[in-house]
Amino acid sequence: MSKHAEPRPDATDAQTDRSADDTPTDGTTFAGEDLVVGYPGTDRPVIDGESLAAAPGQVTALVGPNGSGKSTLLKGLADQLDVDRGSVLLDGRDVHDLDSKELARQLGLLSQENVSPESLTVEKLVERGRYPHRGFFDGLSAEDHEAIDRAIDLAGVDHLRERELASLSGGQKQLVWIAMVLAQDTDVLLLDEPTTFLDLHHQLEVMEIVERLRDDGEMTVVVVLHDLQQAARHADYMLALNDGTIHARGRPAEVVTEDLLAEVFGVEATVSPGERGPRITPVRPLHDDTDEQVDSYSD
Amino acid sequence: MTEEVSAVGRAQARAQRLFDRFGRSLVTLCLGSLAVVVAGGLIQVSFGSYSMSVAEAWGAVVDTAVLLDERWLLKFLLGEGLMRSITGFGGELPDLPTATLIVWNIRLPRVFVAMLVGMNLAVSGAIFQAVTRNELASPFILGVSSGAGLAILLTLVVFPALSALLPVVAALGGTAAFVLVYVIAWKNGTSPVRLVLAGVIVGTVFQSLQTGLFFFAEDIGVVQSAIAWTTGSLTGTDWEQVRMALPWTIIAMSLALGAARQLDVLLLGERTASSLGMNVETVRFALSGVAVLAAAASIAVAGIVGFVGLIVPHMVRNIVGSEYRRLLVGCLFAGPALMVAADVGARLGMQVLVGSDGQVPVGIVTGLIGGPYFLYLMRKQEQLGEI
Repeated sequence: MSKHAEPRPDATDAQTDRSADDTPTDGTTFAGEDLVVGYPGTDRPVIDGESLAAAPGQVTALVGPNGSGKSTLLKGLADQLDVDRGSVLLDGRDVHDLDSKELARQLGLLSQENVSPESLTVEKLVERGRYPHRGFFDGLSAEDHEAIDRAIDLAGVDHLRERELASLSGGQKQLVWIAMVLAQDTDVLLLDEPTTFLDLHHQLEVMEIVERLRDDGEMTVVVVLHDLQQAARHADYMLALNDGTIHARGRPAEVVTEDLLAEVFGVEATVSPGERGPRITPVRPLHDDTDEQVDSYSD
Repeated sequence: MTEEVSAVGRAQARAQRLFDRFGRSLVTLCLGSLAVVVAGGLIQVSFGSYSMSVAEAWGAVVDTAVLLDERWLLKFLLGEGLMRSITGFGGELPDLPTATLIVWNIRLPRVFVAMLVGMNLAVSGAIFQAVTRNELASPFILGVSSGAGLAILLTLVVFPALSALLPVVAALGGTAAFVLVYVIAWKNGTSPVRLVLAGVIVGTVFQSLQTGLFFFAEDIGVVQSAIAWTTGSLTGTDWEQVRMALPWTIIAMSLALGAARQLDVLLLGERTASSLGMNVETVRFALSGVAVLAAAASIAVAGIVGFVGLIVPHMVRNIVGSEYRRLLVGCLFAGPALMVAADVGARLGMQVLVGSDGQVPVGIVTGLIGGPYFLYLMRKQEQLGEI
């Protein structure tokens, strides 16, 4: 698998590059089969027997209301929560059989909340991403330096390189953390709500990086997104979760429907096809037990 | 300029800037600490109950009769028996001038013990601060001090026959308490908060038992000895203590420096560390073990000296940043500096202040330095606690 640091001038260029072996799905396969995932000490698993496959070299978004189990599913996929049953296959191999460092060389995960030591510089933080690639006593190799530089370039944080984390804004911090995960140089990347709490500019920056990873590096990306509209616009595939089960899956245009918004998200909304994915216009929240009353008030 | 040249130049410039910021401050810190150690050491060898002139004392330190005779040096560092078997020397060692004897047999080893204790405590504290991700953690946060204290009291009051083994018993008591803390904290793994809470629980119970045992002490000598051990004292330390602590210190310091990168990654939080491929529980336990080893080595020779392991890593972090390789190297120098300086106060302070010959436990002096330092930090820093 090849990676290029230079941003492509346009998408068609990336396409011609990819046509060398003419498979749009050249990335690493990543799938979960019959997954049962829960937290220790609780009776009922959060995810109870779901299967999913991330499209190789594509961006798959997990969406769903609060508490629908999307973050839990992601943690299970990343081997950060023990799967009670079922298996996660990375490139055809069960992740549970992989040594933890070996797994970390192939699968990156950016958690929702991260601890940023204040006086650490950006470059040093990104350097930590090389942890799984280094032996116990190894210094930084030329390859490590290259990967760090590439990650910093990809995340567009070169100008922040020597800044201390304490001096960064929330959005800048997130870009820097993404750079750290990119320095891990993995084939599959899992992101847990990378855009939540960011201003619009940084949300778009993050999604642009994700798209660049797919286009240039054919990275398989699974991203939990809070914002349905964002998922509809940027993802190639979507999985909608509701109460621990996968309610719908497919292309954004197939998944994002008025019915889904009502059933899964509990909102009345209109969905219209748009230039950049389906456009969602939320109208009002639906109340389960008071549906009829609301109807009777509505006229 | 070609691209390659500019890339290399950029890397160099970057390295240079980083060195300017932290490297220079680390070098300054190490040199400054070294100066304090040397100055403190010279004061310690110059004054004492046997009076000699400063020139005499300093001359004794560099006395070639000792420095150039490997038999003396081996005797000090390895003990007389080992010296004889290594050198095959069977006779009497040559006589030394009185000043040299006093300086080399009594005053210098105490300075060396202070240095070893200082570096052990500082590095141990630095490790525990990363393990618990709390800036206010000390080597004794996971019950080590209360376990050692209880073991000391039990030995002195209940099993006086074991007194000769007191250093070992104290170190083992501390280690046992640490293991107990870990067992209590363990429930599908541990977390920094649970570890600290378990440390508080074990500490409280052991502390009560220890205080209770004071009531059963038969004479004032036992009580004084117990207090000296539980507050930390270097009175009467000798080459034997150097020999006792040195091997463990070398092991613990090498392991700590080797594990600096693990500490750095652990500092990013468990989730990140784990997603980077670290076996967090294993690494955390192993690192805690190294820190307890260092703490136990210092307890065995000096008892429970407080505050050094708390303030030194803190001070060093303020100067060199939180990257652990730098931090640990800084601690290796700053720890001895604080400890040697504090011991000057403990050994000679009473003489200067009230003109008496008495010495106070060094732990009292470190406490007197540590408290105000934290007051200063509290006033100066907005956020104190999380690293």
